[in-house]
Amino acid sequence: MLATLDRRALLRAALVFLIAAVGITAVLTMGGAAEAATAETEAVTTTASSGGTNLLIQNLFNGIVFGLLLALASVGLSLIYGTTGLSNFAHGEMVTFGAMITYFLATPQEVSFPLLPFSFSVNWPFWLAAPVGIAIATGFGWIQDKIIWSQLRRRRVAMVQQMIVSIGLSLALVNFIQWWMGGRPVRLVTSIDPRNQYGPISVGNVTLISMAIAIAAILGVAFFLQRTRLGRATRAVSDNPALASASGIKVNSIIRIVWMMAAGLAALGGILLALYQQGIGFDDGTKLLMMMFAAVTLGGLGHPYGALVGSLIIGIVAEVSTVWLPPDLKFATALGILIIVLLVRPQGILGKPERVG
Amino acid sequence: MDILFDVLRTAIAPSTAAFALAAIGLNFHFGLTGLLNMGQAGFMLLGMYGFAISIQQGWPIWLAVIVGLVAAALFALLLGWPTLKLRGDYLAIVTIAAAEMVRFLGRSQSLKDLTGASSGIRGSDYKAPFEELSPFPDSIVEIGPFSMHGSRSSSWWLTLVTWALVFVCAGLFWRLANSPWGRVLKGVREDEDAVRSLGKNVYSYKMQALIIGGVIGALGGITWSLGNSVQPDSMGRPTTFWLWTLLLLGGAATVFGPLLGSILFWSSLTLVKSLASAFIPSDVLAPTELEPFSLVLVGVTLMLLVVFRPQGVLGNKKELAF
Repeated sequence: MLATLDRRALLRAALVFLIAAVGITAVLTMGGAAEAATAETEAVTTTASSGGTNLLIQNLFNGIVFGLLLALASVGLSLIYGTTGLSNFAHGEMVTFGAMITYFLATPQEVSFPLLPFSFSVNWPFWLAAPVGIAIATGFGWIQDKIIWSQLRRRRVAMVQQMIVSIGLSLALVNFIQWWMGGRPVRLVTSIDPRNQYGPISVGNVTLISMAIAIAAILGVAFFLQRTRLGRATRAVSDNPALASASGIKVNSIIRIVWMMAAGLAALGGILLALYQQGIGFDDGTKLLMMMFAAVTLGGLGHPYGALVGSLIIGIVAEVSTVWLPPDLKFATALGILIIVLLVRPQGILGKPERVG
Repeated sequence: MDILFDVLRTAIAPSTAAFALAAIGLNFHFGLTGLLNMGQAGFMLLGMYGFAISIQQGWPIWLAVIVGLVAAALFALLLGWPTLKLRGDYLAIVTIAAAEMVRFLGRSQSLKDLTGASSGIRGSDYKAPFEELSPFPDSIVEIGPFSMHGSRSSSWWLTLVTWALVFVCAGLFWRLANSPWGRVLKGVREDEDAVRSLGKNVYSYKMQALIIGGVIGALGGITWSLGNSVQPDSMGRPTTFWLWTLLLLGGAATVFGPLLGSILFWSSLTLVKSLASAFIPSDVLAPTELEPFSLVLVGVTLMLLVVFRPQGVLGNKKELAF
């Protein structure tokens, strides 16, 4: 693998990293009076890390949980990129949308549609609301491809234009969700999840179940891609759309299925994330989008399993970095890793080198 | 009638000019060179921080402006150095990630004494040196239907300075775009390999465009901060997307596109908001819902623009990177 790495690119990346590190340290020390704040955070870390390695293990575990949820959300992003070449900036909203629809169906409180002056309460049990929410999100994926993306493909709109369309869609959707659900985070379930201690790891039951569901869903996707006819066709389209089309695969219907799958998986990821974080705000998916891009690029843009590998790495790095760095910088750390990866190995860990521009 | 004056007031407001400045910077990136910079808000934020922090350190105003601009230039160098060789959408992802990193660093508690963390830097902490330069009286001045303060915050003084800067930068764009240098950049936009085969160093030209556009973006950030305050969350991803919308609305690769785009964008936003609050009853659309409602319209506008009229109001379809 190292032979394929351009040594100059490696050097450049190392230098950029060094300069950035020096710059950040310089800024940190320049804020001389910042010592008070630093001392404070240090105090917090020392009390928290009384267990020493325990904190590390706990963070590692949290990282794996976050990585799995991230993987659910980003598998779809990667599949869409693989089959159509589109970097879909509106994928974060699909995550929020799934969780919000579930909230809409499950909450005992009064809900309403925007612009309609009446309100009502659906108040379904959570076990019913979640699958229906995922189904609605899947349908939304179908509608999106039907009325937007397939039309753009038919008109042969350039990829860059399609990317900007997805940015516009993201802006419209995130604000629509805010308009609809309000600016405050909502909780899908109101009961408090008791935390159990397993050795050094403290974890709630709901989180364990979420992890199991996430793993099952990821295995399901893997089974679909590897073993089913449709999955093989998907991989063929991802590999070479023209050739796939020539060998009799209906490329457009495969892409339609990919959009539905992506939307459904993102919705499932959103619901599990809302359970894990005990609530979801209208812009949580949007915030997650950068992490998803980082994960997908790290694993290899368009590579179906790349998203999984990348997500786990990003999740673990983001959570474990909080042992040494201030917690509000954990997303910045993950983005830093994205930039370094792009410098060293733009095709990602599993990607094929010819994808590099 | 009030609505009309509101719209006109928005059209000449200093923040409209500041956005026009940042869009001129983006025009150097996208319109002229075809670079997909999705992190223009990061350049603006860096300019704002450089300026405000320097003034807080007690440095003179000219030095503070230079610090803000140099910060943006260095950011462009650092960003462009490794990524300008990669394909376009990689640059988009890297710039958006880098801009978000600037924002995360700015709002981090560990830099609280420098950047004020998530609450930012208050306007009164850094605006004084600029306001002291004002030749206008230190009171409310009314000209026709417009009434603004002479020199404080969003003042006549700031309006004059920012619009002057906008015209200077638009002139610069016009001059540079029609120079041999600008023609090479247009060549890079149309066909990189052709330009390379003519013996031009494409990488270096792209870098120059990235730096110039970023510095003008930082200038936009500085002027914006003089009318508002330094607030990291006001320069998030939505800001970049608005810049793209208004650039594409006015017309990319044109001299007056960013200007017209900014004026159209902000005045129609004000128009929609005032019309909605005047005519739609508040039980259908509550006042708090006006903001997201108008931004939904912005998103839809961006989508429709890109698909049906990518050249915008003034542009020429042949002069587009896509």
